Amino acid sequence: MTTIQQTDFGTLRRWVRRTQSEHRERGATAGNIYFTVLFIAVVGGMLHRQLAVIFWPTGPNASELAGTALVLAGVGGLFLALRRLGPLGLSRPAASWFLTAPVSRRRLLTPSLRLAAIGAGVAGALYGVAVVGHVAVRPLPGAEGALLPVAGALLGILILLAALAAQSGPTWGGGADNLAGLLLAAGLAGFVLDSVVDAPRAAASWPTGAVGIATAALALVVVALLAVAVTRLAGTPNDRILEAAKTAGTLLDAAFGVEPSFVTDMLERRYWANRRLRSTRLWGRLPILTGQDLLLVLRRPRRLAWIAGAAALPALLGHAPGWLLAAAVLIGGMIAGGVSTGNVRTDAGNPVLLRLLGLDSRSAVTQRLWVPTLLAGLWYAATLAMLDALGDLPAGPWWALGIALAPVGAVAAIRKARAGFVRNELLPLDTPMGTLSPGPLVNSVIGPDVLLLGLPALMQIAQGHPLSWTTVLVQAVVSVVGARAYISGTTAHDRVELTAAR
Amino acid sequence: MVDQPAVDASGLYVSYGSTPVLIDVALQVPIGAGVCVTGENGIGKSTLLRCISSLQRPDQGRIRVFGNSPGSTPEFWRQVATTVEPPTWYPGLTVREHAELVCRAHGQDPDEAGVDAALESFGLAGHADAIPPSLSSGQKQRLTLAITLLRPSSLLILDEPEQRLDHQGRESVAAMLSQYVSNGGTLLMASHDDVFSAASGARIITMESLATPATAAP
Repeated sequence: MTTIQQTDFGTLRRWVRRTQSEHRERGATAGNIYFTVLFIAVVGGMLHRQLAVIFWPTGPNASELAGTALVLAGVGGLFLALRRLGPLGLSRPAASWFLTAPVSRRRLLTPSLRLAAIGAGVAGALYGVAVVGHVAVRPLPGAEGALLPVAGALLGILILLAALAAQSGPTWGGGADNLAGLLLAAGLAGFVLDSVVDAPRAAASWPTGAVGIATAALALVVVALLAVAVTRLAGTPNDRILEAAKTAGTLLDAAFGVEPSFVTDMLERRYWANRRLRSTRLWGRLPILTGQDLLLVLRRPRRLAWIAGAAALPALLGHAPGWLLAAAVLIGGMIAGGVSTGNVRTDAGNPVLLRLLGLDSRSAVTQRLWVPTLLAGLWYAATLAMLDALGDLPAGPWWALGIALAPVGAVAAIRKARAGFVRNELLPLDTPMGTLSPGPLVNSVIGPDVLLLGLPALMQIAQGHPLSWTTVLVQAVVSVVGARAYISGTTAHDRVELTAAR
Repeated sequence: MVDQPAVDASGLYVSYGSTPVLIDVALQVPIGAGVCVTGENGIGKSTLLRCISSLQRPDQGRIRVFGNSPGSTPEFWRQVATTVEPPTWYPGLTVREHAELVCRAHGQDPDEAGVDAALESFGLAGHADAIPPSLSSGQKQRLTLAITLLRPSSLLILDEPEQRLDHQGRESVAAMLSQYVSNGGTLLMASHDDVFSAASGARIITMESLATPATAAP
């Protein structure tokens, strides 16, 4: 048997860094650091008031229930985010060259673990500060005030270790994801409940000593588990690391190209790659593309459940200004309608299948509009009926206004799906903050701009007057006329492709 | 109009930057004929097929498909089926459902159109419930061909259909193309495999010979 000598990874990494720095311009690294620090200072200076409101308001403004909901949503959300990222990963070049090289796996992966631990710790600490800032009674005893963010950081690292175990574990990762999803949902439900009931504020006195003991115990657990994680680092399966490397690469591509669709496409691909499907007959009585959209929606029951649950979220804005509540409702319907627009996105990106289908763009888009209309209509009706029942809206047939809004959310969702890639070739704009590429901005408003068709509903909610059937009728007419105008203006009977040739 | 060719192209010029690819190229394919364009890599076979499929505009020249300018109209794409460009598959739709979708869009009953038999012939019956992105490149190529052949069309434009197919697959596809032409369809393809082209019932024409007007006999 041939013995392969391991290369010292530290030496290898130093050589790579030295070689890379030789190709870099002199002072480039210092320049990057300077600009990063300057950017943080400028943005921090501009947003320090808003940041204070988020992390440390002038007085506690949330109930214990809201605090518990914050913690649950934070734990679930952080776990899911870390799972989507890996959490243990490598850069794409490192995954290509080092993962298959005879180097120590533990030394190869330790920097990634360190970075993930710092990230999770900082996120946990900031979250801890925010929870304490919103919930804890002031004045806060100094020791507890300092210990709670530390406990948050430790909890963040503990969640990272759980995600790390799920990444290496053979089977229970899916179950852990489900549990985290439930925690996140419970947290969001807690927020909604808190906005409805008058939940009590935190107790005036803090259990002195208990926080210190709990933090110390948590620190011991984290240190012990971290040690175990480091010893088992080399056992992380290659396929999971490669997947995380692809995720990191796609995120970087999306950030550099300001193209979020790279990430959504990757998530979509992964979702379907892990599903086992059974071919079914498409419904013969429905228009063919409508049947396909319906099948797509029914094959994503969890997404449907999230969207149904999210119908309650506008209740969080029950006491906010009317225009903000109305805008949130309108955007929510667009998101609900977007559950079925994956097929339009495919056709907009590459019309080859549309050409094989041989349908004209007007028929195709009309058929594709039905399912988003159904979803958006149900969502709007459910949300507005719930806000009405909670007393956040004046009297009136709000469910009917929801149905009248259906085409607005559907057209916005379809228009958004047809937007395609960000146009980075647009002329950059010179602003006092520096040069700004308008492409991402233009792309982000394609879709939501159509929500202006919901102006009658927006005005109604913003003014806070009782809703009449006349307003419902006006909204229905505007919605239908707007949808017809959209179809007429952006499709043609004599063109297959969804976009006209430039 | 009986003598009108399925494809009638003349005086085609295409260049990529300063590199000319097609120089005064002419091609006629009568209705019901099979033509296979051959030539070394980079000589412009795919460019010619892309121009005839309306997927690329020539710098100069005239193209008629069934007497009309090729374009993006539904009428054109109901007559013409091509594999010149690879498709992006629909999310969450299986191999069989993709085939059924295309059949139904053309008003065909999937069973009568022979979806299952086509998947069987292309060696995809065992993958009917898979999603196309999970297939190998050869299987994807076969699926594209299967769907293209399943749907009704009058003109098939195929770019190297034998690529990524094993020996048995090539024989099977060649037989299907031969039957397509026998049934009155018109076939225009580019290929590197003369045996496959001959088995498809297509007359072989070299790209060099297209620099002057060339006509393929049915």
